[in-house]
Amino acid sequence: MSEIFVGDYISEAKKALKNEVLQVALADLQNRFGRGTARAYKNLPEGPELRFKAHDIRMQAIENLDVLLETLAENVRRNGGHVFFAEDASAAVNYCLAVAEKHHVKLAVKGKSMVGEEIGLNHAFNDAGIEVAETDLGEYIIQLAGERPSHIIAPAIHKTRNDIGSLFSNKLGIAYTNDPPKLTWAARKALREKFLAADMGLSGCNLACAETGHITTVSNEGNIRMSTTMPKIHVAIMGMERVAARLEDHDVLLRLLCRGAAAQNMATYVSYIGGPREFGQIDGPDEFHLVILDNGRSRILADEEFREMLYCIRCAACLNICPVYGKIGGHSYGHPYSGPVGAVVMPLLAGINEAKDLCQGETLCGACQDACPVNIDIPRMLLALRAKLADGDPNWNVSRASHSEKAAYKIWSWIIQNRCVYDVCLRMAALSQKLFPKNNEMIRWLPPPANGWTQSRDIKPIAAKSFMQRWRSGEIKAIDSHQKSSIRQE
Amino acid sequence: MDTSGQEKFISRIRSALGRTARERHSINDVFTNKFTPEVGAILDRIKSRSEIERRQLLHRFIEMAEPINLNVITLKDDASVTSAIADLVRNKEPEWGDQKNIVAWKHPLIERLNLSHALAPQKVPIYVTEFEDTAAGDNSEQKERTRLRQKVTDSYIGITSADFCMADTATLVMRARPAQARSVSLVPSIHIVVIFLYQIIADLKELYALLKWDSEIKKEGLTNCMTFISGPSKTADVEATMVHGAHGPREVYVYVITEV
Repeated sequence: MSEIFVGDYISEAKKALKNEVLQVALADLQNRFGRGTARAYKNLPEGPELRFKAHDIRMQAIENLDVLLETLAENVRRNGGHVFFAEDASAAVNYCLAVAEKHHVKLAVKGKSMVGEEIGLNHAFNDAGIEVAETDLGEYIIQLAGERPSHIIAPAIHKTRNDIGSLFSNKLGIAYTNDPPKLTWAARKALREKFLAADMGLSGCNLACAETGHITTVSNEGNIRMSTTMPKIHVAIMGMERVAARLEDHDVLLRLLCRGAAAQNMATYVSYIGGPREFGQIDGPDEFHLVILDNGRSRILADEEFREMLYCIRCAACLNICPVYGKIGGHSYGHPYSGPVGAVVMPLLAGINEAKDLCQGETLCGACQDACPVNIDIPRMLLALRAKLADGDPNWNVSRASHSEKAAYKIWSWIIQNRCVYDVCLRMAALSQKLFPKNNEMIRWLPPPANGWTQSRDIKPIAAKSFMQRWRSGEIKAIDSHQKSSIRQE
Repeated sequence: MDTSGQEKFISRIRSALGRTARERHSINDVFTNKFTPEVGAILDRIKSRSEIERRQLLHRFIEMAEPINLNVITLKDDASVTSAIADLVRNKEPEWGDQKNIVAWKHPLIERLNLSHALAPQKVPIYVTEFEDTAAGDNSEQKERTRLRQKVTDSYIGITSADFCMADTATLVMRARPAQARSVSLVPSIHIVVIFLYQIIADLKELYALLKWDSEIKKEGLTNCMTFISGPSKTADVEATMVHGAHGPREVYVYVITEV
């Protein structure tokens, strides 16, 4: 497993909120892609309801995952490819390393791959003395800077053109410029040399088609085509859930993937790769390896409460709409899986207690589900994770996150079930709140442990007289039917 | 012995799904590989398309190509395409180095254009990605590949045809074949595509129906690499500013020949 920093959520989020450059970049990203994706769904001939059909297609695939993966493997092998089933990250990494060593690989070029990040492939290759060049421009920038990606499809969104200008002038020895085209072409030149020299190409996979035995890669830059066409060996790593049964399913999924990821009708390049080159074909790899990864997914599959998370096709549409991601950015999530998808996936993969802040930080507003091309009910699963944290769950090795919180809710539950106690508490609160500092009649500060509520806003004080008191004293009366209808008209 | 870890892996999935190997769904349930009247209607529609309908698809293609900076040029015949390409070669300068080289697929449509003759006055050589001797065993194949790969890398324009063109997304579809190298549409700075009007289809639905159910097309299937190309290579990774020519071609020109 790659490095995980899910425990730094709160401190990283605080840093991000103070980073003005990041705030502008995130707002810009969400304005552009969030809105663009919503428009793209509306413009579908089938309308946004196509997402429900996609949900059914994904459900069917996951419910038949055993049959689909067997069929996929059989067809890839028939086309001359190798298939390896990796139980966990280290099995996948070791297989990739063994292939690299067999062919004396010195340099590998890599297309952006979320599972590659998940299993920590780059580290392992570097430790074995093999250079891995990231070739997606955003990933390349991140790799040169020695940082971590902050968005699933726009990994360098947190860096300004000036940052990138200085970085390139330092690392590539070019004259400083902050002009995006010039920077892009400098990377084009540097990476072209890598593509032509590389002995191995590494890629992820966006989808797979079981009945034909192909994986599908999607990119706008052409880096994945380069990585899978020029080197002698191609190793593709796929999360076991990415498979679809039929070509017809791809009609729906591919269109929605491109819209969800970048509000496009179709990405610039989509490749269906099903095996090594045939005799007489001039290019394409001599060997094609497909590594299918479990790494905790079968555990998610086994729990019907979370099985739906495996429908995810990692398009990042939920990041582009999430009000929380839009403020705290991707680094706060402590892993390349960020945003709402990360808030569910990371607790399930890295431990629910360890990653508790991720699922507790989201707002449950539901925007992620509306933006999701396959209509995954992320809010439901966030709540399910929180329920496990509240009560503990031996099945997921979750211990109760806060005993004092549980105790507080038990007391609260007792108070609101006893009218007299409730009234006494209310009166006491109304009196004692006079001690707290005010700002325009609003409470500016509460003492611990309630201070979190006033940290970034003032809260309304409890009314001097409760509703019940005002009702009994005749201060307020029931409205008559005439008033009712006028309210309705408003 | 199963060295790929498949058996254990699949049985873990099966038990996660709460069923035994015997209970697995029958393959037909999952894949529903039946020729439906709906698919029949799609195939009929493609085959019986009138000239007017083809022109409508062409217009749709041009309309969808514009926002993604894909240049579509409609021309009557081979001769006009040849002279248009000769003009383009004259006007475009190479991105790397000074020498203008061109690489092209071995393809009947491109052969008809007789480009080497048309480009001779400009002294621009055109290489064809075809093995000189494919029967001489692995060693010579390797040598041939290295030679052709160098030609592709040295060329600033790559010329290909395509199997299909999907109007709805302005997408060219190419399947991998010997003598039709994948890198010709990828490595050179400018990609030129020549197709006939009748190769334009509507959308993914039509493409998948053809690949799966058309008796001729399904023989070849998807091949080991089917590529969709929709416009020139692009990126927006520097402050979300759109730049063309990230790794693939910076410009793409599609010539559509309307008279066969």
